[in-house]
Amino acid sequence: MNYTDPNSILTGNTTTIIKIIEIIGILLFTIVIGKLATIRFRRFLKDKISKDHLETILKVIQYGIISTVIIFIIFPVLGIQTSNLLVFGGIAGIVIGFASQSIVSNLISGIFLMTERPIKVGDNVNIDGMPGTVEDINIMSTVIRNYDGLYIRIPNEKVFTNTITNYVANVARRFEYVVGIEYKCDADKAIMIIKDIIEANPFALKNPAPQVFVDSLGDNAVNIIVRIWAPSTDWYDVKMETLWIIKKTLGENGIDIAFPQRTIWFANELEFANKIKCVETDLNNLIGAECESL
Amino acid sequence: MYGSHDIPIILRSEKLSLSIEMEGDVKHYSRECFGETVNKIIHTKSSRILINPVEPMSLPKELTPYLLIEFEKLVIIEAESSIKVYLTFPIEIGVFISGKKKFEIIDVLTLANQKFTLYGNPRDGIICKYWSSNVHASMPATEPMREGVIQLEIINTSTHLIEVTKAVFNAYAMKIYYTDDLVAMQAKMRVMAGEIAETDFINLPLKPSMRKSVELYTARKVQVLGTKFVMENGI
Repeated sequence: MNYTDPNSILTGNTTTIIKIIEIIGILLFTIVIGKLATIRFRRFLKDKISKDHLETILKVIQYGIISTVIIFIIFPVLGIQTSNLLVFGGIAGIVIGFASQSIVSNLISGIFLMTERPIKVGDNVNIDGMPGTVEDINIMSTVIRNYDGLYIRIPNEKVFTNTITNYVANVARRFEYVVGIEYKCDADKAIMIIKDIIEANPFALKNPAPQVFVDSLGDNAVNIIVRIWAPSTDWYDVKMETLWIIKKTLGENGIDIAFPQRTIWFANELEFANKIKCVETDLNNLIGAECESL
Repeated sequence: MYGSHDIPIILRSEKLSLSIEMEGDVKHYSRECFGETVNKIIHTKSSRILINPVEPMSLPKELTPYLLIEFEKLVIIEAESSIKVYLTFPIEIGVFISGKKKFEIIDVLTLANQKFTLYGNPRDGIICKYWSSNVHASMPATEPMREGVIQLEIINTSTHLIEVTKAVFNAYAMKIYYTDDLVAMQAKMRVMAGEIAETDFINLPLKPSMRKSVELYTARKVQVLGTKFVMENGI
């Protein structure tokens, strides 16, 4: 006959109730700590990370704290041996670590991209030779739309480790043309005309002032360098329209754009000229005779 | 040309022509300025339009809310003193459909030259609308359809002599007043030590008979947070 001591049952029940209360207490305390940590991180990161990304990171921090407390504090209270879990977790960690190396790398890179913020949504950028507009920056990848309208997803690890050129990070940028005019043309007049064209374009900035000067005396042309500053948002429109206006206006003012050409001078010019004259006379006679016979 | 007009209307000047003609319930808006023609069809119960000068920030594109006026003459002010000067500023003309205390913009045009500039450096400077003005000791004569007058009080609060070459203003704060022959604003520039200045507009007419313009930011119900501008990149 089995006999159970009522006192031991009572003690066992009391212990269980105390454990449950202890666990609930730890959980509530952890939730409060998690909440406080997210408030603190929110204040610290709010100027560094965009709102959407900040919420994701804060959730990861909050659930991370709760999970750690459950594994390392609540499991031992419940009698679950975490040392076994640690061994299992260690092995699983190595396996998962190898398998998810690139995922973790992308994740870490994503966090750095969000805090460092070399690019923002809407920026015109060139990442690893891929120019386009940034559509989205996620925790694992960055999405850009290239200028042909194609969707390109770039893993954050690649974005972070490659050279990023952000065309609109600064409010203004400069671009340059080389205008080659013929040697016979007046370079001073050409410079004046080009300066007037730049002045007439509202988006060609007054300051920093544009630069127009003769840069080199080339093989075929006098090369005039034209450097223009424009707002980063509009520089490409200015670049596209200004060059053709320069070409047309210079042409209208008798200044021609030079093209590769070679002038040949003969050593014995007189003898050569006589020979040409003879050939011309022979040709004329021949044409005359042909006409008569017809 | 400025003021409230009944529809239909035909207004013509040397550089500008503007008309609104009725065709049943539909109104045909047409405007020609410097060879640029704009035609619009407007469906509204309102039978009046308002034409008045607005902040010069919409054309050729709404790129910046800041206006930089470069002085053609250097202004030198001794320590702890002030001076009142008159500058010109570019005008854009707003055409509004006017209802009961409600104005909706339908067109913006300008006869003034358009130019942008950079204030500060390319990294952390700002793009501003550019205007070059002579500095006058008294009210200059202006073309009211093209340019207005700013009465600017420059106050040197520093303990040394200063040289002022430009002023940058926040267009959100512009308080424009007009009559048929004058468009004007009043502004203040407080120069502090270290070549830093703060600019702001004064909401008062230059002459008692002047009417207050309906500003674009007011018409669009844009909430304005700050009206002052701090010039940190040189004066």
